Formats: sequence, structure tokens, C-alpha cells
Amino acid sequence: MIFFRRQLPLLITLVTGIVFAAQYYVPHPASEEMLTTVTKWLQIIGGFALVLGVTSLFHIHAVKIRRKEPGWGYSFVLYAAMLGTIAIGLWLEGKETINGTMTAFGWIYNFMMVPLQGTMFAILAFFIASAAYRSFRARSREAAVLLIAAIIVMMGRVPLGEYLVPISGDITQWILNVLNASVRRAILIGVSLGAVALSLKIIFGVERAYLGGGKE
Amino acid sequence: MTFAERMLKIDRRIIFAVIGLCTILPLLYPVGLAIRISPEVKAVHGYIESLPEGSVFLLSLDFDPASKPELYPQAVALLRHAFKHNLRVIGMTLWLPGTGMANEVITRIAEEQGKVNGKDYVFLGWSPGGSSVIINMGQDLYKAFPTDYGNQPTKGLAVLTGVQNLRDVSYVVSLAAGTTGIETWYVFGKDKYKFELGGGCTGVIAPGLYPLLRSGQINGLIGGLRGAAEYEVLIGQKGRAVAGMDAQSVTHFAIIVLVILCNVFYLSIRKAKQGQGHGSHPNVV
Repeated sequence: MIFFRRQLPLLITLVTGIVFAAQYYVPHPASEEMLTTVTKWLQIIGGFALVLGVTSLFHIHAVKIRRKEPGWGYSFVLYAAMLGTIAIGLWLEGKETINGTMTAFGWIYNFMMVPLQGTMFAILAFFIASAAYRSFRARSREAAVLLIAAIIVMMGRVPLGEYLVPISGDITQWILNVLNASVRRAILIGVSLGAVALSLKIIFGVERAYLGGGKE
Repeated sequence: MTFAERMLKIDRRIIFAVIGLCTILPLLYPVGLAIRISPEVKAVHGYIESLPEGSVFLLSLDFDPASKPELYPQAVALLRHAFKHNLRVIGMTLWLPGTGMANEVITRIAEEQGKVNGKDYVFLGWSPGGSSVIINMGQDLYKAFPTDYGNQPTKGLAVLTGVQNLRDVSYVVSLAAGTTGIETWYVFGKDKYKFELGGGCTGVIAPGLYPLLRSGQINGLIGGLRGAAEYEVLIGQKGRAVAGMDAQSVTHFAIIVLVILCNVFYLSIRKAKQGQGHGSHPNVV
């Protein structure tokens, strides 16, 4: 039915959008109680979203394994790791330590997840250095300005730079506090105005893409 | 192929090796150059110093293990400072993968400082919802977190005496590796519930937070490993961050040298091509 698929969600969006925009300015206990209740709902919905995400991940990789698509072995590793972690986590009630002793779940977290994630992020330093060498070139005046600013900030953010060129620290502070902050602020204002405009369009039913299937 | 062209197409593994050596050697043979304290880090330290003993300090460890090298030392330094200053510490995280790490750092530093769980500190853990968790805590902390990470009811904990919601918290610091993080705490927390907010973040997102700092939306900012090192110097307890500053210094300089070399080679090729009369397009190398 079109009412349940289109009109009811639009009505709920309109009412809740207006009510909660107004709620911010109404400090009455009833208004505050309503906010408390609704944010608790949001937390519960957030929990379900996690379940939905995990289910979707399982589904995508199950299809990959079944069809033996390129890289299906990685999907198999993901499956084994996820199922293993979930099983051990449930068995140990999610506890990483019991009476000060590390559990298997804690071991997986501390000795697999933490170093693996740390390694992935650390590798970035090597790729950034390689990319900087290959592509950070003064091809134009604007690129040259960016290059000089980057070198000054890189010097000013480490003790060796401040030791060799003492003024680099002050110039870095100025670049961050004045040039960088003003440009970022301009971007933030633009993004915020865009967010307000989009919110109004959603509340008043002009933007309906979130309903699925795009505009009618 | 000229020397400059060959150098521009150098095997990237050589660059990886240079960066690797620049990281490892200073860690093995530290120099210990002086670290200058920036005003934004001093502001966070100064605010904690200004709080009376027994004030409530909330540390939100909003990062996952990927950002551990930068943000973990910040957490250690902040917790040491807060515990030494006898503040009541509430720990939590808005990032699910960081929960175990956050619990470990708070428990370890609390034990180191002789603090008792439930009396001097509490770790609330993680709850789904991101921004809605902050709003819910602003409304009623006990509804957002009915139990702590160890499943003991939060209501009645000595550390939370007199705390009903975020309005009763003296200072909040979010150590963030992205969103959900410092901006979320400002927009959904400080703006409505009027607590003082400070931030700590990875080096890469620090420049994006300067508008918040300049406008007073956050009162201070600890940026990256450098910020953590500054904080360690301020509390007089040097740790991993100070140890890592030599490696970061040398690595930064290695990248600066690489970028300068790359540009020298690039400009020499461009000049040679312009001299030959077919290098009119400046972007062609």
C-alpha cells in the first residue's frame, strides 16, 4: 500500500523532524523526558544496526565462497575468524580477563586484532613517503605554496625541526591557527549550511531518496 | 634515460627501507631533543590542574587499535595526571573496537596510581548509538549506562556520587581518531549540557579541529604523538610518546629530503625539456 510505503514515513519524518528541532529550545521536563526516551530508542536501534551489518557481511562473503569468486579464500578467512571470535566471545560472556587472567577472547583481541590494526595503519607511513616522493611536485605556483607550507609544518611539528630552525615552530602555529583554521571554518560553514538545507528538504518531504527507489 | 629521470622512477622499496631505518635507528639510539610545549596542550593540562580534587573527569577513548601508537600515550598521560590530581575518573568509548584497549589502559593506570574501581574510577564501556549515547548521557547517565563494563550497576557507585548527567561532569576529554569523536561531543554534548570540553586526536585530523579550538568550542587540543609527548613532559613522566619523538623527527626530515630531491629532479628535467624546445607544457614529465 502506497500509504504505508510513502505517506506514513513522510508523515513520521515531518512530525518528528519538527518536534525534535523545537525540542532543543523547550527545557520543560516533559520535553526533556521525551528526548531521554527517544535517545534510548536510538541506542537500541543502533544495536540492531550492528546485527544487520554483521548479517550483511556474512551474506556477502557466503555468496563469494559459494561461487568461488576471485579472492574467496580471504572470505573464508573472514568467516573462520568471525565465527571463531563470536563463539569464543559468547562462551566467555565477552570477558577479556577473569580474575586477572587473560581469556582466549582477550588473547584474540590483544594479540591479533590490536597488532593487525596497528600494522595496517603503520604501513601508511611507508606509502605516504613513497607517494610524497613521486607526486609532491611544484608543478604550479599553487602547488609550490602548498609544498613550502607542508615542509614548514613538518619541520615545526618535530623537535629536530625546531632545534635546527627555531622559528619553524612559531610559523607552524601561525599556519595552523590562522590560515588553516580560517579555511577549515569556511568549509565547515558551507557543510553546515548544506546539512541544514538537506535536513529541511528531508523534513518537508522534498528529498525522498531515503525511502528507497529515489523520487516518485 | 637521464640520471634525474632514473631517480624519479626509483624502486619504492628503497624509499620503504629508508623510512624503516629512519624509524628504527632513533628508537635504538635516542637523542632526546627538547620538546617545546604548545599553548593548546598546555590548556588541557592547565584546566585539569585548575580543577579541585574530587571533580569529575570524563575521558572518552574514541579510537580503535589502529590509532593506538598516537592516542594510547595521550590516554596514559591524561589518566596519570587525573589520578595524581585525585579527580574522579569516568572512562568510556564510542568506538566498539577500542573497548578492550580502553578498559586495559584505565585499569592499568588506575592500579599503577593505587586507585580503586567504583570508588576512584569507573569504566562504562561502549554503548551503540554514537551521538545518541552522548545525548542520553546528557539527559540521564544511568539510563545510558545502567551497568559498567564489569556489569556492576552504575547507580550507587561511589565515584558517581552527585553525578546524574553530563551537566555534573567538570571536564570531558575525547581522544578521537575520527568521527564519532571531538566534534560529536561538542555538537551533541557541550553545546547543550554546558561542560568544558578538551580534545586529543591523531596528527592527521588535528588541523581540522583548529576552528573549534580558535572559537573556544574546545578549550585545548592534544595533537598526535607530538601532543602526547608534550603532555608527558608537562606531567614530568616521560613515556612512549617522548621516546617516539626522535623517530618522528628523523622520519619527517627523511620525507622533507625526499620531497626536495624529487622537486630538484623534476625541475631539472623540465628545464632540460624546455631547453630542447619541446617542454612547453609545464605538467609533462
